[in-house]
Amino acid sequence: MGYRWRTTAGSLTALAVVLAAFPGSTAGSGSALTGPSAAKAAVGAKKVTPPSRLPGYNTERNAYFGDLHVHTKLSFDAYIFNVRASPDDAYRFAKGETLGHSSGFNIRLSGGPLDFVAVTDHSEYIGALQEAADTNSPLNKLPIVDGLFSTNPVNIGAAFSRIIEAMGNNTLPKEFSDKRIASKAWKEIRDSAERHNDPGRFTTFVGYEFTSAPDGRNLHRNVIFKNAKVPELPYSAVQSQDPENLWLQMETWRKAGVEALAIPHNMNGSDGLMYEQTRRDGRAMDKAYADLRMRNEPLAEMTQIKGTSETHPSLSPNDEWANFEIMESYIGRAKAITKFSGGYVRDALKAGILMQDNKGFNPFKFGFIGASDTHNAAPGSVEDRNYFSKVGRTDGMPERRGSIPAEGRKTWDVATPDPNGNLGRFQSWGASGLAGVWAEENSRDAIYTAMRRKETFATSGPRMRVRFFAAYDYPQNILKRSDLVTVAYRNGVPMGGDLMPSKGKAPQFILWAMRDPNSGYLQRAQIVKGWVQNGVAKEAVFDVACSDNLAVNPATGRCPDNGAMVDLSTCEPMRYKGDAEMRTLWRDPTFKPNQRAFYYARVLENPSCRWSTWDAIRNGTPPNPTLLPTIQERVWSSPIWYAPSL
Amino acid sequence: MTESLSNQSPVRAMIVRAWREPLVHFLLIGALLFVGILAARSLQRPVVRIDAQELGQLAGYWSTQMQRDPTNEELQGIIHERVDEEVLAREALSLGLDKDDMIVRRRLAQKMTFASEDTANLPEPDAATLMAFFEKTKADYQAPPRVTFRHQFFNSDRGKDQALARANAALGKVSSGQGTSLGEPFLLPLGYSDASLIDLNKDYGQDFAGALLTAPLNQWSGPIASAYGFHLIKVDSRVSAKTPTLDEARSDVLSAYQEQARKARNAAFLDGLRKKYRVEISGIPQTVLK
Repeated sequence: MGYRWRTTAGSLTALAVVLAAFPGSTAGSGSALTGPSAAKAAVGAKKVTPPSRLPGYNTERNAYFGDLHVHTKLSFDAYIFNVRASPDDAYRFAKGETLGHSSGFNIRLSGGPLDFVAVTDHSEYIGALQEAADTNSPLNKLPIVDGLFSTNPVNIGAAFSRIIEAMGNNTLPKEFSDKRIASKAWKEIRDSAERHNDPGRFTTFVGYEFTSAPDGRNLHRNVIFKNAKVPELPYSAVQSQDPENLWLQMETWRKAGVEALAIPHNMNGSDGLMYEQTRRDGRAMDKAYADLRMRNEPLAEMTQIKGTSETHPSLSPNDEWANFEIMESYIGRAKAITKFSGGYVRDALKAGILMQDNKGFNPFKFGFIGASDTHNAAPGSVEDRNYFSKVGRTDGMPERRGSIPAEGRKTWDVATPDPNGNLGRFQSWGASGLAGVWAEENSRDAIYTAMRRKETFATSGPRMRVRFFAAYDYPQNILKRSDLVTVAYRNGVPMGGDLMPSKGKAPQFILWAMRDPNSGYLQRAQIVKGWVQNGVAKEAVFDVACSDNLAVNPATGRCPDNGAMVDLSTCEPMRYKGDAEMRTLWRDPTFKPNQRAFYYARVLENPSCRWSTWDAIRNGTPPNPTLLPTIQERVWSSPIWYAPSL
Repeated sequence: MTESLSNQSPVRAMIVRAWREPLVHFLLIGALLFVGILAARSLQRPVVRIDAQELGQLAGYWSTQMQRDPTNEELQGIIHERVDEEVLAREALSLGLDKDDMIVRRRLAQKMTFASEDTANLPEPDAATLMAFFEKTKADYQAPPRVTFRHQFFNSDRGKDQALARANAALGKVSSGQGTSLGEPFLLPLGYSDASLIDLNKDYGQDFAGALLTAPLNQWSGPIASAYGFHLIKVDSRVSAKTPTLDEARSDVLSAYQEQARKARNAAFLDGLRKKYRVEISGIPQTVLK
């Protein structure tokens, strides 16, 4: 639009609003209204005391969308991928500005600015590659970086593998962990977050990625700090590969007033290790361990570009939608995953409630968020129609990610050689992963607190909103009441919460979803249930609302096909299919008061083109026949847990 | 003395004689010169000097790789390798192997860029300069219009016409004071205070946001279509797009000024360099032209 919006003192004065009943508005009507007279009076005032509540403050909470997994040139791998964009660039991109991609084109979010972002560079060797590229630095002369800064992709690749391997077995030269280099980078990250944090408009968090991967099995997690109070340096996987040691460090920080939470990701690349049922050092889990883990890891990043870790078709054979952006490879190399159990969140939630029944503790009681894991300093770049993948020059062009035939060919008759399996990996990545939180206002405090109480959701990219509440006694007419949300909170618990033990009644769930105005229409709303029955954890997927005036078939438990289709030559969806909104009240027909359970919502859009199809259309070639041409975008709420007794 | 002279051995006499011979003088001087030139040449040979600091560093790298200190023999090896690298590099340079080498060229260019880029903060501009910059870039700091309003929602998933009819009926009622909230539950807020038009655009679409700017104040109007359905709206107040004063936007203006000053300085440096050269391009290859 030609100009950028900025915070100015003038608009800050407008923040001085007080919460007051709006004249004539019904009490608790789901309104976010704050006193307009106060707002008006404040405009133009020169000096105001810091407001206690920001514009948009809503006691019933707003959905904010963000990305808490973002890499810049300060990450060793991003630098190797030729990414030179800084944390400042990443925040600017998130605010809607245009950024140069390392492959030489401009990138910009088509869905508009995000509400909150954390830059989370790899803490291991942070800033060291930038340093190593400087020939005046001793790092530049280390044999391990030999070829890394050449222009020969083969040499770059060889050097990259060498470095990844050395990282894995902890044999990188010490120079890479030089404290001065790390301090400089860490300061840049902190300063940048401070500069861009703009309460009420745009929230930043200081963060970093703890990059542990024993034997290449991914145990990565992002550490997100509540505010500007952060440690002098990150605690990285160089110090320990065992996440338990990270949590212990976080406890130490907390005692010193540094509040943080960790969010694991790419369970799908852990070969079953992320949710293994012993501690990393082999000892048995106990209650203290489960408490430690849950105190420090209330959330899981269950979808991102490197695949979605909700569930795997082999783990959920009765879930027709389980096959969504599945990545079956180790992280960073084309080694096949052999163990899916322990690598997907639904499976882990089940293992958790079973453990609670058998042993009295649950180390896997987490909520959901999504994130991009962009290495292009491009938060929120998970738009299928506007996809440039995530590892800089390595996969920035369609040919490099296998969505168009190689060497300018017009057909797929000739197979493209893929000697190191990179093409296959990039093809299996999805344009997926965005975080949603229900918070009173757009501030660090409100968003962080929402993450702590797991009132969060994950989307596959679109900014769909989902509300999910549970209670035993909602009024029959609740869905039609203007105070729906007020009552939903008052009588029940929101996503991320715990239901009280039942006094015989089955719980009711309010599932309310709204489309993203810039994306497709909604096709069906589902509730995924996991429960323990006779010492075995089970799962089921219930369709609970259908679009287009359709009703769930009681025999199959499924919505009939709404007939939505996409024109694969244009990616244009069929018109007038799907709903803008879905709102339903569902009582679990299979509920047994003595069975421990969890429930989460999943809402699907109509089918739309996958990024690989968009790439092919722009190139004027047919979509890659080995890839699915369409996907169904979706949103997942955090679970609500049911316990038979306190 | 004569005694001693007469006692001279014949060999000694020969040496003495030779010593007096001009030819011998010539040969000796020649030999001395030869040795001297050799010595001088050897002093003139280019030096490969590895100081204690660099040697320490090299040994250090070795140790971190091998997890122990090098033995004397290994240290010799390290030195050897370093010396070989140096002499090979110098020979390559003297043979001109660095010419027309893309890798070498890029590294040099990179180093030069790095050396010439001013990473330190530039001096603060004076008041007049900053004001002039602000006047030029004012539009960048414009705050979006802000609206305080309420709305009622009518879902059109089950029929557009029906939703429109419900909305119109509701408009009649609220306008004549019968009831206040006749709309349906809505997942987004039903009221906004001082909301930015940018956010409303993003959440509701342009038609809806645009209508908020023109709707009559303090009365219900509509229905307006959004990405979700139909809405009745009641705007309580509007603040039009506002350009701040320099004081209000000072820190933003200052950082933007410095950013562009840094870019300008780097560009000027490159411009200056370019002027030192005449660029000739001898045709574009057919393959590029297509």
